[in-house]
Amino acid sequence: MLKQYPTARYILHRGGWYFLTFLVAVTINFFLPRLGASNPVDIIMGKAGSGLDTEAAREKEESYLKEFGLVQVDATGTILRGPDGKPLKSSNVSQFFNYVKMCFQGDFGTSFQKYPKKVTTIIAEAVPWTLALQLPTIMFGWIVGNVLGALAAYRRGVFDRVFFPLALLLSAVPFFAFGMLLVYVCAIKNGWLPAMGGYAGDLVPGFNFDFFKSAGYHYILPFFSIFLILAGGQAIGMRSMGIYELGTDYIKYAKWLGIKENKILLYLFRNAMLPQLTGLALSLGGMIGGALITEMIFSYPGLGMAILSAIQGQDYPMIQGCTLLVTISVLIANFTVDILIGFLDPRVKAGQMGGN
Amino acid sequence: MTKLLKNLLKSPSFIIGMGLFLLTIGGALLLPFFYHVNLGLQASSYASPNGKFLLGCDHLGRDMVSMLIEGLRSSLYVGLLTGVIATTLGTALGIYGGFKGGWMDDFVNLVTNLFLVIPSFVVLILISSSLSKGRSLTLIGLIIGLTTWTWSARAVRAQAASLKSRDHIALARINGANTFRVLTLHILPYLASYVFMIFILQVASGILSEAAISMIGLGPLDTVSLGTILNDAKNQGGFGDGMWWAFMPATVIITVLVFALYIINTSMEGVFNPRLRK
Amino acid sequence: MPTFEVDHLSLHYLTRFGEKIQAVSDVSFTMEQGEILGIAGESGCGKSTLVNGLMGLFIPPLYPTSGDVRVGGESLMKRTPQDIRKNVLSQKVSMIPQGAFNALNPTRKIKDIAADVIASHTGGHTSKKDIEARLRERFDLFGMDTERVLNAFPIQLTAGERQRSVIGISTLLNPQMVIADEPTSALDVTTQKVVIRMIFDLLEKGIFNTMIFITHELPLLRHVANNIAIMYAGEFVEKGTNEQVVFDPRHPYTQALMGSMLSAEPGQKSRKPVSIEGAPPSLAKVPPGCRFAARCPVARADCKTQKQELRMVAGRLVRCNYAE
Repeated sequence: MLKQYPTARYILHRGGWYFLTFLVAVTINFFLPRLGASNPVDIIMGKAGSGLDTEAAREKEESYLKEFGLVQVDATGTILRGPDGKPLKSSNVSQFFNYVKMCFQGDFGTSFQKYPKKVTTIIAEAVPWTLALQLPTIMFGWIVGNVLGALAAYRRGVFDRVFFPLALLLSAVPFFAFGMLLVYVCAIKNGWLPAMGGYAGDLVPGFNFDFFKSAGYHYILPFFSIFLILAGGQAIGMRSMGIYELGTDYIKYAKWLGIKENKILLYLFRNAMLPQLTGLALSLGGMIGGALITEMIFSYPGLGMAILSAIQGQDYPMIQGCTLLVTISVLIANFTVDILIGFLDPRVKAGQMGGN
Repeated sequence: MTKLLKNLLKSPSFIIGMGLFLLTIGGALLLPFFYHVNLGLQASSYASPNGKFLLGCDHLGRDMVSMLIEGLRSSLYVGLLTGVIATTLGTALGIYGGFKGGWMDDFVNLVTNLFLVIPSFVVLILISSSLSKGRSLTLIGLIIGLTTWTWSARAVRAQAASLKSRDHIALARINGANTFRVLTLHILPYLASYVFMIFILQVASGILSEAAISMIGLGPLDTVSLGTILNDAKNQGGFGDGMWWAFMPATVIITVLVFALYIINTSMEGVFNPRLRK
Repeated sequence: MPTFEVDHLSLHYLTRFGEKIQAVSDVSFTMEQGEILGIAGESGCGKSTLVNGLMGLFIPPLYPTSGDVRVGGESLMKRTPQDIRKNVLSQKVSMIPQGAFNALNPTRKIKDIAADVIASHTGGHTSKKDIEARLRERFDLFGMDTERVLNAFPIQLTAGERQRSVIGISTLLNPQMVIADEPTSALDVTTQKVVIRMIFDLLEKGIFNTMIFITHELPLLRHVANNIAIMYAGEFVEKGTNEQVVFDPRHPYTQALMGSMLSAEPGQKSRKPVSIEGAPPSLAKVPPGCRFAARCPVARADCKTQKQELRMVAGRLVRCNYAE
């Protein structure tokens, strides 16, 4: 089946694999937080069972327990209670299935810290900021880094001798360290640019000029602190890939044939870019993680801050919602890169068909 | 092997990287003998650098130089611990899988492929946040090591698989040498330099991961690390108020450490892959 | 006037540590139109370096030491790399490399690689349609499924198709002179024959007419070449007609090389490969005397110190003071 449609087969094959990975990620996301001594269920149960005087507070907690499937309910939805009047805890397995069901419905539950706000609502407020910051930064960083790396590999000489150590230093600086340095120099010490937040505190987000201007100012420092480091790392990788490709027979042959230099540079760039693209897929998780920490440094109103405040408030539904969302984004980005490579590199699809 | 070593010693970036790295290790080991490390509360909050406290104090009035020495020791400890765990586990499983094939290989492959796309940063947050009590430096090192070994396994596996088909190894196998013997006598020596490079990168990634996880408040509760210093600086106002000594020295130390490890790796790559030389 | 003249050509590499490696020393020969010269020698003898020199293509760390190469009377040595690229490569001197799989850019279709060659030498005036028509016309000569081959990526072709595509691309601009560097190595016997036949077909059709054929397979050279030169440690040690060199070698190295070839030639007595003991000298420190002396079975006391010049022995050139 599908033998005559190698492209469709390739996409389906990769898609199936990513779906499996997604299931594993959901499982991990559920069980890992429950490994520790102070797991979320016990904390919530503890709070639900004690110290709540008012009927209203108790009701709030119990509806919460029910929503997450943390307690056993009968057919009518009434919470089953033990002899001491405390709700009966449901088994891990049934909690898990409830969790998976909720995930597939796009429901990450209710925030513990900001009750009764839904986790998805909080995330939805944060995601545009993170997308606006990370998507262009990672893409630009990747492209600029690769172009510079390819040039360094091709030209060598003085350009390379200055550029290479600089890129190496940049790639070795941790995201957060560079972010802190930029904030200190450009914002706190000299006051050129704002240090914190995504927009000035006295503004209300909306479609007006003042807001966009303020958001633009606040964008500059986080952008550069991610962009420069990413570009440095990519340039280092591209430089070694480029030097490797330069030694290959097809580049030598192209030179023997007298093919124009800029055309050869194009050959080189395109072919060295393919492993770099694979590299991007593999390092995306790390990049996004680093960028999230940068958001925290800048108190940028994105996912990074949401995770940070959830961690500080031990808001487990929120933490789990964010980590799952980050994982899903990384999976989607990886899948996209995979498909892209399948289209760009004839060897990948041929290998895929040979492999099956 | 000795020739490679000679070539390495000719490479200036290797000398610089190794020199810097050994310097930090030496500092971590020896400084406590020359400097009285005192983590007690000794002065006012964020006291500026002065004759007594060369790099000032933190928000609790602890001597920053003492904190940095302690932090450096912690970072190196975490880095080496995760490096050893991730490299040993990754190399063992990678070699075994690449060489033996079979279900073990399939399993390692599946796990490595899964964890290459599931961000280890996320896994770290999930585990660390569930351990809100008893989160020690060693435990954090263990967790980082156990979440990053897949990367080394994948890298080693590819190398081992390519070695497997080489003549002298095929010959040793035909001559009835047992698997363990072949692995330790024939494959490991060939991979030694490669494994060392992986170790170097894993140490760097361990140091960075610890710093990152500490930055977001999930760091060790039993000791000071460079990451917890940064976290304090950020959360207790030292960073926002421009107290450079609260975060700058720690930032510089982490950067120097990681930079040293990276250039060791890059210079080794250059020596082992002659095409990068010129 | 000879089509191709090489005049005391020496080439060297400069290593990172400033060490000079004399890869090719004092090579001279001339070729008339229609001539096929075979060059043979062990790997590492400088054959491939010589190829770059013959095309005037000096990519660091390779540099010309001295001497000259003239194509149709024009020197290649004093021209700029840009001039060489545009007006010499592919047009006057072209090259058929070995290992055609790796020679073709894996992410580019055959027709695009070929179009790049044309566009790089015409200044880009030619329209895409004209270029494709030209390609089709040329590839139709090769007895392949032209449409499929032109529209394929290298990985979608068989080894033979790839090698023939390479030959087609290398000869696209009708060069005066073709250098084939082991074009048949890594191919099976049947495909080898097809490829050889194709090369000779192109010669007959006049697409090119002068060729240097480099190989380590002497039996093949005997069938292909008019004249044969044997190279050792960067020098020509013997050059004569194919009959002279194959059946009546005079240089001790050529004799040893003939002995070391496992050959199915009828009439050749020994079928057992004889390996030559030892290794060629390091070219970083060129010995003053005969470079083969250390391995030579008939070396005399002064061979290692006495300079050896090419001299006429039995109607061909030999670089050995004691050969007769």
